[in-house]
Amino acid sequence: MSFFFGRNRARTNTTDLAKQARDHVTKLEGPQGPAKAEELAKVLAQMKQLLQGTHAEAEPNPEQIYQLVMGMIDEDLLYLLAVHLHRLPFESRKDTQVIFSYVFRFRPPTGPQRPEPFALAYVVEKRPQVLVELCRGYDHKESATPAGTVLREVLKNEAAAAIILYDDGEEQGSSVRGVGGINPDRAQSGRGVFWNFFDWIDKSSFEVSADAFTTFRELITKHKDLVPRYLAVNFDLFFDRYNTVLVQSNSYVTKRQSIKLLGEILLDRANYNIMTAYVDRGEHLKICMNLLRDDRKMVQYEGFHVFKVFVANPHKSVPVQKILIMNRDRLLQFLSHFLEDRTEDEQFIDEREFLIKQIRNLPPAPVPPQQR
Amino acid sequence: MADEGVANRYQVLEELGRGSFGVVYKGIDKSTGETVAIKHIDLESSEDDIQEIQQEISVLSTCASSHVTQYKASFLRGHKLWIVMEYLGGGSCLDLLKSGIFNEVQIAIICRELLLGLEYLHSEGKIHRDIKAANVLLSEKGKVKLADFGVAAQLTYMKSQRNTFVGTPFWMAPEVIQQAGYDFKADIWSLGITAIELALGEPPHASLHPMKVLFHIPKNAPPRLEGKFSKEFKDFVAHCLVKDPDYRPTAKELLKHRFIRTAGKVEALQELIQRKRNADARADHAKHPVYYQETLHTISPKDEADEWVFDTVKSIVPRRGTVRSRKPSSAFGVEDAMRKLDLKDGPLQPTTPGTVRKATAVRRNPSSASRQSSRQNFMIRHASNGSPCASLGPKRPLQPDMSFGNSGSTMRLFRRVPSDGSNSGYLGSSPPEFANENLPPPAYHSPVEPNSKEAMLGRRLYNKALEPCLDELHAQTAASSKREALARISDAFAFLDAVDPEGAYHLLRSLVSTVSHDPKLSNAFLPQQQQQQQQSPSKTQQPSEPQQPAQQGTVLIRSRGGAPPTTAAPASPTPPVSAGSPSKLVFAQDNPYLMSHHRRRGSMLPTSAGAASDGSRSPERSPERERERDRERERERERERDREKEKMAALEARFPGRQAVPGMEHCKALSDLLYARWTDGLRARWGVMAGA
Repeated sequence: MSFFFGRNRARTNTTDLAKQARDHVTKLEGPQGPAKAEELAKVLAQMKQLLQGTHAEAEPNPEQIYQLVMGMIDEDLLYLLAVHLHRLPFESRKDTQVIFSYVFRFRPPTGPQRPEPFALAYVVEKRPQVLVELCRGYDHKESATPAGTVLREVLKNEAAAAIILYDDGEEQGSSVRGVGGINPDRAQSGRGVFWNFFDWIDKSSFEVSADAFTTFRELITKHKDLVPRYLAVNFDLFFDRYNTVLVQSNSYVTKRQSIKLLGEILLDRANYNIMTAYVDRGEHLKICMNLLRDDRKMVQYEGFHVFKVFVANPHKSVPVQKILIMNRDRLLQFLSHFLEDRTEDEQFIDEREFLIKQIRNLPPAPVPPQQR
Repeated sequence: MADEGVANRYQVLEELGRGSFGVVYKGIDKSTGETVAIKHIDLESSEDDIQEIQQEISVLSTCASSHVTQYKASFLRGHKLWIVMEYLGGGSCLDLLKSGIFNEVQIAIICRELLLGLEYLHSEGKIHRDIKAANVLLSEKGKVKLADFGVAAQLTYMKSQRNTFVGTPFWMAPEVIQQAGYDFKADIWSLGITAIELALGEPPHASLHPMKVLFHIPKNAPPRLEGKFSKEFKDFVAHCLVKDPDYRPTAKELLKHRFIRTAGKVEALQELIQRKRNADARADHAKHPVYYQETLHTISPKDEADEWVFDTVKSIVPRRGTVRSRKPSSAFGVEDAMRKLDLKDGPLQPTTPGTVRKATAVRRNPSSASRQSSRQNFMIRHASNGSPCASLGPKRPLQPDMSFGNSGSTMRLFRRVPSDGSNSGYLGSSPPEFANENLPPPAYHSPVEPNSKEAMLGRRLYNKALEPCLDELHAQTAASSKREALARISDAFAFLDAVDPEGAYHLLRSLVSTVSHDPKLSNAFLPQQQQQQQQSPSKTQQPSEPQQPAQQGTVLIRSRGGAPPTTAAPASPTPPVSAGSPSKLVFAQDNPYLMSHHRRRGSMLPTSAGAASDGSRSPERSPERERERDRERERERERERDREKEKMAALEARFPGRQAVPGMEHCKALSDLLYARWTDGLRARWGVMAGA
């Protein structure tokens, strides 16, 4: 039959690529898997070239790209590729990453311009499972890096971030039916894809864990409206997991990075209400004070930057005051020798001095904080 | 953790090099027998964002080219990150340059290989950003590979540009310096500079200060290759060094350049590797490979005595609390205090995010002066690498991680010590202070200044001998109960050192003298003294030394002081103890002084022929080798008793005031001796592992 298509190969190729890819990708698990993977690799390489053009030689053709993107949407190829990403060969995984990046960025050259790129808008509204499956790329070390790279690009979009945050299976208000179905005021069950990040970060190998953490950080720091609201509704669930899984992780990197991120979250102006709620809890202060006594000085150091928020807070809650007062002498003694070798870090020294002064000046017994 | 298991897949051998990033070791993948290079990055000592290291890994792990060093794996071990890479035995081009510049034929080959590597990278959307001779590695076969992706960038889109100012000044393209947005072409410029570097031995402007170079490069005309080089070579360099990146050719285009097309086979580069080896051999570097040694620092010690009090159940706290709560109204100036607590008054401004961290992220190496002063004050220091000098300040005791309130608390150990009149060594630490388990021992934070010769030696004894060998023993002991026991000794010694270094000195002195009185013990522990005395009863006797009965195990030392002794030990050739094997600790048979402290750091040195050339420490063990083996067996048995003795010793240290004998050398020599015995016993037990 090939002679039949031979005449207008250039044209059929573009529209057919998505179809071919779909045929191959769905058979990856079958007995013909290896052969299909090879063919798929070729198709994907072609798609990549079509999207990005050959380096400095052929410019990409917007019309062809449009056809390809439409084809991919029609064939649900974005979803299929996300699901099967870890089964693809090494080069194809990288190709797929490039394809995703271009497709999610593509805007049709003509017609009304929307704020969101075409394919991304489609995914966010109609096919949120694509993003969820990309997150699940962290289940496999093969797919973690390409999926993570695509995710971090996509998560710059607030709607896409919302899809991941509010994914909650078939629950009411879950993002499963698109961004329009989200109910931000409903507390999360903790079973959605976002909550898997804690385990991906804590339990995966270094490479996967580090990539997952980077994505997690993007997700939690980028959107100054979305995230504070999310954290406010899911405060207990989030910080409980955060403190037990991440801050007290066995992995040095996870521990250190998550303490640092905690400091960043708390000191973000957009998270002011989250911060005040956080530093009111005596439990949180206890965790933090134990970090100051960690074996690793960088953990101590990062812990210090969270601890200072508790101490510097002018409206300390009674439980927090109680702990600080109870440990006043210990703290003063401890802080006076805390990380003494940071002789060049003037800001740290200033802050340490400030904390010492604050702790020294604590009232002898807890005083209920004044109204803010 | 699972990652610990991954680490065991690799047998780490000698050190290949070190840099700001960490140390690179040669290693063997036990499952395949393949030789690999393993980079150990101490994350604890880097304030860099771990993300940057992760970036390097992610760039490397997505490379699959024979022109790029192959990444194999990475995993965490405690706070060390291990990155396993392909091993390239030829070394870097910079190393090879040390034995002479390259000729044009060689440079052409290297440039072609680099261009192939760059073509690959650039097609993958990666910019290396730090091309220079130091980052070009050769395999033993002469294959050329790009290495060190520490600052490499991954572009998501082919057309995007970068602004980040990274690289090494001399090799940096003008557009990178000007931060006007750059792309792959920046690597081509650096390649041109590297070509000059290979031809002349150094990059252009090498005599200038790096900062000055940053002004030079964008302002001046591009450097040219001058001298007796072919037209093709000069033209190639000129093509690479076009200031406007738009007119600079791509890697692909340069591969068509005449200079490159006529380049020969990579095998020709083996000549360079051979030349370097010959030069090294001629120079008689006698470089002793430094072997990898597991450090203690992954074994999280925890000072449980210093816990916070969160429960009001604790005896002392509620009492204090109630007393104060009865007079809340009289609390002086509460409002005033609260006002002072206001954030605006302090240097902390939590409402301005980012800035706090920004400023602290500035990395500055503490000036040597300040480091010096802090050391003099015996302040806390980095306990980062367990170097002997690092143990001056308060030290976290060695302890396995245990839950709060269980045995192993430092305080309990102290309380068991009788605090009668004999504890003159304690400086003001009266028993009542220990009543509260939660109070940290004050002495920990104020180690005394050693003010006598004995004290100095005692401190030295602790720093140079006791602490390292306790550390090592602890690190090598597997059973947790044994570890705990060791940790306690270590605690006790640390404390003793803090409050009374003199006591430590006397302790060891009397310990040695007691041991020497017991014939069996002295046979086990102090054999070489007796032998030495038999061999050279008077030769090494120092005049300043008081006459001591020989059976007291006097240690005989010619001279003390920093300089190595001028009289070399009798030079009977050292038996090659499985050359290259780190397992065998060699110790001096007849002259304890020879085991000077620096040997400890390099105690993994193999006794190869090279060691004999080093007169200051040519170890003597050949005649006694047979006897030695017998003794080792005995020592095995003695080891347990030895440890017991240490514990006793810690107690005895509370009773200083035994006659101090001048001639401080004893102390040091004995500590060395004790250490050697100790490690020898260990090696007999663990040698199989260390020797592989």
